[in-house]
Amino acid sequence: MSDIILKTNHLTKKYKEFKALDSVSITINKGDIYGLIGRNGAGKTTLMKIITTLTNPTSGEFELFGEGGSELTENKRRIGSLIENPSFFPNLTAYENLKYYAIQKGMVDFKPIEESLQLVGLVDARNKKFKNFSLGMKQRLGIAFAILDHPDFIILDEPINGLDPIGISDLRDTFKRLNEEKNITILISSHILSELYAVASRFCILEKGSVVKELSKEELDIECSKCVVIQTDNLKKTATILEKELNTTNYKVIDKKEIRLYEHLDQISKISKALSKNDINILGLYETGITLEEYFKSVIKEVN
Amino acid sequence: MMNLIKADLYRILKGKAIYITLIIIIGMSLVSVIGMTPGYIGMTSATESTLNIEDEEMRGMLLEVNDLKGVRDIMKSLGGYELDQAVIGTNMNLYYFFIIIVVLILCTDFSNKSIKNTLSSAISRKKYYWSKAILIFLICTFLVLFNNYFFYFVNLLVNGKDFASSFLDVFKSTVIQFPLIYGIISLLICFAFLFKKTAAFNTISIPFVMVVQLIVYGIINLFRIKADWFYQYEIQNALARLANHPTSGYVLNCALLGVFYIVLFHIIGYYAFKNTEIK
Repeated sequence: MSDIILKTNHLTKKYKEFKALDSVSITINKGDIYGLIGRNGAGKTTLMKIITTLTNPTSGEFELFGEGGSELTENKRRIGSLIENPSFFPNLTAYENLKYYAIQKGMVDFKPIEESLQLVGLVDARNKKFKNFSLGMKQRLGIAFAILDHPDFIILDEPINGLDPIGISDLRDTFKRLNEEKNITILISSHILSELYAVASRFCILEKGSVVKELSKEELDIECSKCVVIQTDNLKKTATILEKELNTTNYKVIDKKEIRLYEHLDQISKISKALSKNDINILGLYETGITLEEYFKSVIKEVN
Repeated sequence: MMNLIKADLYRILKGKAIYITLIIIIGMSLVSVIGMTPGYIGMTSATESTLNIEDEEMRGMLLEVNDLKGVRDIMKSLGGYELDQAVIGTNMNLYYFFIIIVVLILCTDFSNKSIKNTLSSAISRKKYYWSKAILIFLICTFLVLFNNYFFYFVNLLVNGKDFASSFLDVFKSTVIQFPLIYGIISLLICFAFLFKKTAAFNTISIPFVMVVQLIVYGIINLFRIKADWFYQYEIQNALARLANHPTSGYVLNCALLGVFYIVLFHIIGYYAFKNTEIK
């Protein structure tokens, strides 16, 4: 069983009558890159703010590293975070800002400051004041801050905002490297599913403060990839026919009545004939496959 | 907690504000030393209770004279008085420097939103509150000591013994003022946690003392209320009286009042901060 880094239990946040978060229960395991997807105002930042103790939940609770969130003490240092816009002291340079937080975290060796700046490509701007930074540079400094103290868990709220395509690609590589090489667990939010798809291993779709769907990358692939959906009341026999008559094992049983076939995509009539010949009762047979954005939209639409 | 204090000291010493503050305090002290009279702020003149210029003719002369040398000659003709104690009596002037320190240490964090970085991945709200409060107290204590003793030594050097009390007397006056001064600082810390942003904090805290005085004096005068207790324990008057050979009973009452302010404002400030959402 994998170690649990974060477990939320019916977290709810109300602002007067408005529910920003509605009974959210998620679990993030060690080594996950957990993508939080949702439209603006879906509750992503509120959830992250509760986890980082920037706000208190109205009800519900959460555990970080097995410790009650509100009692987080020493374990707080195991978290690196970037919530909303990166915020630093405008009159300090990039290096001085990071040194301020390094001292605050009790670090005695300041080499990680250089490493962090290197990782986000800000070495050349180390002596530039924060107030003179572009939006992209600010964002990168925010990420350098989040990874400064070699945390076990990084929380990043829309970290790619304001970055150019090369910057986004570099950051994606950095996140993957941190995750793979240093086994850092990452919670990352975005409203762009395609961006999250490129980096995350698990996904949670939030809408109007509620969890609409929680799925792994494999499950998302299945949901989105092009395939032929076969709905029938005899899955076992259907699978045998697919293997014997169409010579394919490239299919997945989705539930008690559905098989998805990832080959013979343009041969629906051939599939239909093979199944009918063997007296299979076909309840549905059609081609499907959508882009990530379409999938996201369809899930949101279902809720609304 | 120590780490946050160390980090804030690192940041403050990197900036210019603390040095400018010290330069202004030095400037004010030099003006008072050369002018041989303490400066004051607010609606009441604390100097009246400490300077002890009772001669109406002398007051008139001071008002008529236009040059510094003339003022110094008149003051010297008084035959000497404890100018350093008079300056300690006007320590309410430091209120505005305390505002700078609170802005520098606390409001900047809220205004830049850098508080999010600290609270999300470094320390708890409780430790944050007390680290900031302790550092503000430490720096303000340093400012008070610096103000009092810088003036003491320069005054001794420039104006001589006739216009100075003893080192120990300065220390005594400084110490007995501390409870009330810490009460004022606690009020400012409370304001900072309530109003958060620098602009809002400044809008409230800068005119606060004068506005309170204005309202209370207005009410007293309007309704002809006998309010000796207010004149005695109004903070600006109280600080002046504490530097003018107070009775031990008065010192004790002021200390208790100071402790009451400290406890009250920290309860309000901490409770407000504990339940606030960091935006």
